[in-house]
Amino acid sequence: MTSVQPKTSRLIANEFRMLYNQFKQTIRTPSMLLFYVITFSGVFFVSMVFVNFVAFASFIPQMSELLESSLDRDWIFALLGVISVSSVITGYFGLGPAAIITTDDENILLPSPIKPYQLFLSKYFKRIIRKATFVVFGLLAILPLLTSANLIFFSTAFTILCVVLFLESNYFLGALSSYFRIQISKKTKSPFRHLIVILIGVIILVLTFPEFTSTFTAAVLLPSNALGYFLTEATGIFSLGIGYQVGFVFVVLTFLIFLLLTASITNYEYYELFSSAKGKEQVEGSFSGLIRGEIDFSNSRFNDPSVWIMLKDFWSRLRSPYQIWKYIYAFLGTIFIVYLNLFHPSWFPPLTVPNSIQFAIVPAFALMMILFVQMSSITSMLSLVDEKQNVYLLKASPFRTKDIVLAKYLLSLLEVTIAVVPAAGFLIYILRIEGYLALITLIAPLTILFTASGLAIGAYVPVVTNDPKQLPIPLAFSYPIINLALGGLMIFMVAAFADSTLVIIALPVYIIGLTLFFLLLTSRAINSYK
Amino acid sequence: MAGVKYNLIERANVEQMKNEELLKLARVLKIPIEFREIRRSLLIDEIMNTLEKLKQPKLPEDVLQTPAIQIKNLTKYFGRKEAVSQLNLEVNPGEIVGLVGPNGAGKTTTLRILTGIIRQTSGTVVVNGHDIKKEPIQAKSILGYIPEKPTCYPSLTVKEYVTFMARIYEVPKRIALVRMRQFVDRFQMDEFLDFYIGTLSKGNLQRALLIGIFVRPPPYILAFDEPIYGLDPRGAWNLKSYLRQLRDEGSAILISTHILEVASDLCDRFVIMNEGNVVGKGTLDQLLKYHKQTKNLEEVFLSLTGGIPKR
Repeated sequence: MTSVQPKTSRLIANEFRMLYNQFKQTIRTPSMLLFYVITFSGVFFVSMVFVNFVAFASFIPQMSELLESSLDRDWIFALLGVISVSSVITGYFGLGPAAIITTDDENILLPSPIKPYQLFLSKYFKRIIRKATFVVFGLLAILPLLTSANLIFFSTAFTILCVVLFLESNYFLGALSSYFRIQISKKTKSPFRHLIVILIGVIILVLTFPEFTSTFTAAVLLPSNALGYFLTEATGIFSLGIGYQVGFVFVVLTFLIFLLLTASITNYEYYELFSSAKGKEQVEGSFSGLIRGEIDFSNSRFNDPSVWIMLKDFWSRLRSPYQIWKYIYAFLGTIFIVYLNLFHPSWFPPLTVPNSIQFAIVPAFALMMILFVQMSSITSMLSLVDEKQNVYLLKASPFRTKDIVLAKYLLSLLEVTIAVVPAAGFLIYILRIEGYLALITLIAPLTILFTASGLAIGAYVPVVTNDPKQLPIPLAFSYPIINLALGGLMIFMVAAFADSTLVIIALPVYIIGLTLFFLLLTSRAINSYK
Repeated sequence: MAGVKYNLIERANVEQMKNEELLKLARVLKIPIEFREIRRSLLIDEIMNTLEKLKQPKLPEDVLQTPAIQIKNLTKYFGRKEAVSQLNLEVNPGEIVGLVGPNGAGKTTTLRILTGIIRQTSGTVVVNGHDIKKEPIQAKSILGYIPEKPTCYPSLTVKEYVTFMARIYEVPKRIALVRMRQFVDRFQMDEFLDFYIGTLSKGNLQRALLIGIFVRPPPYILAFDEPIYGLDPRGAWNLKSYLRQLRDEGSAILISTHILEVASDLCDRFVIMNEGNVVGKGTLDQLLKYHKQTKNLEEVFLSLTGGIPKR
């Protein structure tokens, strides 16, 4: 019997073809293109604004001095090692190489006569090309910042390349760690088998000790060491004076070694792992079930449609372990920041900012505040996306669109607020600035506004794509940019009218007006679902 | 009839092709075209002459082993749940076997194990003489699979997908070109050839997947999970008719379906599953003979899977 053995290059070519088609589809879809343009021009604009406010070139030498005086060389390597250890730990419980298999692959390529490593390599090449494209776009968008900081485009690109390769090597470390789990689990079911992940973590941390990092020869042992060499040599901070090229070569080498190792361990067991993980997605975790208890929201005495949708969302989200961890984080985080702000523990002092860059502390506070609210408000963007195909059922149900929008908005607002509180408390503590109370109150309007903008962007997913469960990249990228622009504008407005009572009118008009605008957009998007 | 010699490219198939496809085929066959214009019939003659001179490409052997599918004591656990229990099943070349059963009976799991997507907990699955666990590449080389919930790469056009599948299975370009046209016409997909798969309806997606399988030359060992799902009556008729033709030419076909009309119309034998166990097997006549109180496959099915409900 003749068997077929297609070349890996054919699979890679197919992945490239799909990427090229996606690009073609994007530039032919006005709404997708619009979101890309918003993202790119938004980042470009924001970086230009920053450049106008602050001359970054003067920062760089000061930053180097600050880092050299406040940091230890060993800490840099240890910190990078900790990143690798966290990848090993999360990877141990993760899917490893199966993480890049999709449902389409499951139906088309898994039953085909191709070897698992071929599938892995082809999918991986696609992933790396996508990342490289986004990095290049990102670099072009922050060109004004780079120019202002006297940073050469190519050296920055080079550094980012090394960081990306390091992160990818960490993904491979996680994949190898998952391989260990599978192999050991085949031999023993003892709970002590999981100690292997601690052992691997300890080995990685030991390899970051000065004994292994004080000379460049040991760099090849670990991707984090290799990146440490590159960064120290490229920036001149704690440099050994051997040139950044050695670090770069080691970063690439460790990346290639771990890539090939991961490809070689990719076997048919990962097909099974993918299938079982997909099956588990639809099943409630036992932990979530324990927390949720026997509550049946269908027994609710509320008759309002908005309340019904909110209850449905709340209880169905509680089936996800992620949601439970989020509430635990919010609860423990709030207790922790209350403790920090009341007792000012000596073991966790606030950040001491040198006098030479004190002038930048208020803009930094405002920027971090915007970013914290932005990060917390991602829930609102996913509010409609999480409905997946059910979004059409929701639309077809006897609810008015405004009831759906109101329900989604109010629950998202609650979720975002819960997540914002610990972040705001932490910001107040870590960046002690004068008049922080006045500034921190701006978190409330930011939360109201960003929740609405997130909801609107999420609502447009089924409009720009046929797959309502998949958030398109341009939409996901444009969200922080839109929020950064809206938040920046609000801060600018508050600063401009700070001495005038006009701010009492301007701020609510700005926030309420834009919030209603985004909610209206959400309604329009839902009404346009086909 | 098993063991038929296939004439891979018939003149009638080439005549089906569109002008630009003929030119592409001529280029693949390296036929020099010296004139700005050439009569279609002349070009077809040239193509057929060149094809006759060419050595037949190396393709999978045209006779399947007997049995083509052999499943012995197959058991599959998902955690503590036994999805399939001690399943024994054989499908011979020239036979269509229907795997029927209620939801959760273990049909889809059986097909997913057969195609190597997931692995059995115990037991053996042999496809054309190759153990799916030990020699997966050899076993998969002859398999064709349609999943229960069809999906495909949304960013490929139908033409690109079919070409990709031809390359994966190393179908020579000239054969792929001719067979693509043959099955695009059979399943009325001509207007959708350049459509992105992500924009296709459920039925057209199913047709695209079928063309992706049939672009390879027969014989096949087919594992189809609800193949009629989403197809309109004409598409369903076309598929059933072609499956019968394939059976007569020596392919082995295992179909999982809920639609008992389809099963009784198409299948030569049945394996009825319930809660992971085989509760009945045989031809329709054998099943009716054994279950004397039943009149048709539907009643056999109901009596074996919980009893016939009272009116």
